[in-house]
Amino acid sequence: MKNTTNKTQTQVQQPELPQGLSRESLKTVAVIGILVLAFLRWNDVIAILVNVMILIYSLVGQNFGIALILFTILIRLVTWPLNAQQMKGAAAMQQLQNDKEWLAIQKKYAKDREKLAQEQMRIYREKGINPFGSCLPTLIQFPILFALIPSITYAIGSTPLSILKLSRSVYPFLDVAKLVPLNSKFLWMDLGLPERTLLFGLWSIPVLAVIVGLTTYIQTKLTMPPSTNPNDQAAATGKMMGIYMPIMLFFFSLNYASGLAVYFIISNILSIVQYSLMGKVNWRNLLPGGQKK
Amino acid sequence: MRKKFVFVIMIVLAAIVLSGCTGAVAWPGLGADEQTAYLANGQFVYALNSSDGKERWHYPLQADSKLTFYSPPVVTPEGLVIIGSSGINHSLIAVNPQKFPDILPAPVGGFQRFFCSIGLAICPKPVEVEEWIFTEAKDHWVAGPLALDGKLFAPNADGNLYVLDLNDGRLIKKIALDGESNRPNRLWAQPITDGERIFVTSLDHSVYAIDIETHEIIWHEGLGGAIPGGAVLASDGMLYAGSLSKQLERFDPATGAHEPVLDTKGWIWGTPVSEGDNLYFSDVDGYFYSYNTKNQKLDWEPVKPDSAITASPLAQSDNVLLATESGNVYSVDPDGKVALWYDEPSDGKAYTTPVSSDGHILIAYLEADYFLLALNEDGHQAWTFPSQQ
Repeated sequence: MKNTTNKTQTQVQQPELPQGLSRESLKTVAVIGILVLAFLRWNDVIAILVNVMILIYSLVGQNFGIALILFTILIRLVTWPLNAQQMKGAAAMQQLQNDKEWLAIQKKYAKDREKLAQEQMRIYREKGINPFGSCLPTLIQFPILFALIPSITYAIGSTPLSILKLSRSVYPFLDVAKLVPLNSKFLWMDLGLPERTLLFGLWSIPVLAVIVGLTTYIQTKLTMPPSTNPNDQAAATGKMMGIYMPIMLFFFSLNYASGLAVYFIISNILSIVQYSLMGKVNWRNLLPGGQKK
Repeated sequence: MRKKFVFVIMIVLAAIVLSGCTGAVAWPGLGADEQTAYLANGQFVYALNSSDGKERWHYPLQADSKLTFYSPPVVTPEGLVIIGSSGINHSLIAVNPQKFPDILPAPVGGFQRFFCSIGLAICPKPVEVEEWIFTEAKDHWVAGPLALDGKLFAPNADGNLYVLDLNDGRLIKKIALDGESNRPNRLWAQPITDGERIFVTSLDHSVYAIDIETHEIIWHEGLGGAIPGGAVLASDGMLYAGSLSKQLERFDPATGAHEPVLDTKGWIWGTPVSEGDNLYFSDVDGYFYSYNTKNQKLDWEPVKPDSAITASPLAQSDNVLLATESGNVYSVDPDGKVALWYDEPSDGKAYTTPVSSDGHILIAYLEADYFLLALNEDGHQAWTFPSQQ
């Protein structure tokens, strides 16, 4: 009886949506809207990131390395709900792959793609699953990731054009003239340049790019939900991403400012922490053949 | 399986292409003597006839991915052209124009070069046009060096002023200009001299004076902001420098005692130009100033032609020319009246200081259909490089 009352109350609180428009499709439209807005106001997105970075830099003793780490933590905190939603969406999709009804329609309509799509949409609706639920939060984070590249470059200002662009990005309340150029030395790196470490005085090794590749690989492996269904497409895509994402980010880190590589590493570590806190880390995936168990 | 393979290739290619999209990091460097213009623009430095824009030579003869050129080339009294690389290879190169052959050898492709290196193909003998190459700097060359009495004073973005023997490129002394702060001490502007001292400006907010003989630092003084442009010695015998702190500062060259003499509306970027009693300079908010050092006042209220100005003005006999970010060129008369002198038809940006050579005004462009534009004395286009015809 109590449950029924709560349910009724919840139903009363939610505003009615126009016919044919679900809450999930509204979310999709909202995400697309945000992406379009970010694209149209690209310089503003960069400016926000630059100003936040410089503000943190001015507060933490003018060390850009520490500022960048704190900035990454801030970004992860801001995008925490999005990541959590992504995890839930991925888990729901994973469960669906083992659902009897789902498997049955795959078999039944294997040769009728149109009917299969209709049936799939029906099941999504019935179970309240958004098929884009796991990728929409990721899409929202793309503008942040791509805006980070120029933001770090402008903030460090190691070239004439980057300092000039910085002058157009900073808000008046930050007295940037006193701070520019930012101190980009951190540990053994210059965060404004791609990192290379001379090994035994002979080989120039991109240590940071290798760490980025490794941590991305570990992060994707650990956060991949277990799957027993050999036809699970989501799991197959996840596996592929587990290979290609580390390669892609390795190449990014190889050529861009090492500050970006620091962002990737910290972000990967924080992602593992978030998954751990939500009890979603699958440590077995790191072991050879671990996924089969 | 095939689909997967194509997907892999696409992803890896996208990553490689995207990660290589770093874009331009600086604007072209431009220098000139009486008859030749020298343009440092990306992979090559070009020597062009100032009269007609015809290419005399380019360096290197074949593109080298390790070399990128943006610092203004400098011609020494001995006729060498000094060019610094802003690429992975931070070399400072003394090119001897006399060594370029009349007919440049045909470029050798990558594969052919590989086969040549292992002796499986015959390639033309490489032409050595360098007098010497200095490779000890740790960072980019953004500024041109100062050639003086057989020595080269070369400021590098690693914060060191390298004193080299102009004959052979031998390092005489490395002077670390690291001030007292933890700010990056990049040196982006050409040093100047009063005959006794060398004056160097730094992004670490400091101006340094160095003894011309002993190479010791005599004084260094801090300002409120980074100094991307150089300092100038004015007719009153004082040293002037502008900074990102939006102030023009005056220094006693002997002691370094200094005081701000003018507040500006924006960051001062380009090196001020001294002409008679006047100092001409601009800021990145697009304002142009004429400051009289004698009465210590502005000649007139700052004027704003259109967009940001990073280039130094070019003083002529009856006016001053300004190249703005929009690509346009403006003339300012002695009363502060601004007139559009050249209307840039493309989207090119002019950040580089214009130079005058062989009766032409030369403007270097970034992101335009051409790298270099020559204007007649009346502001009409004479030629472009590469030619647009």
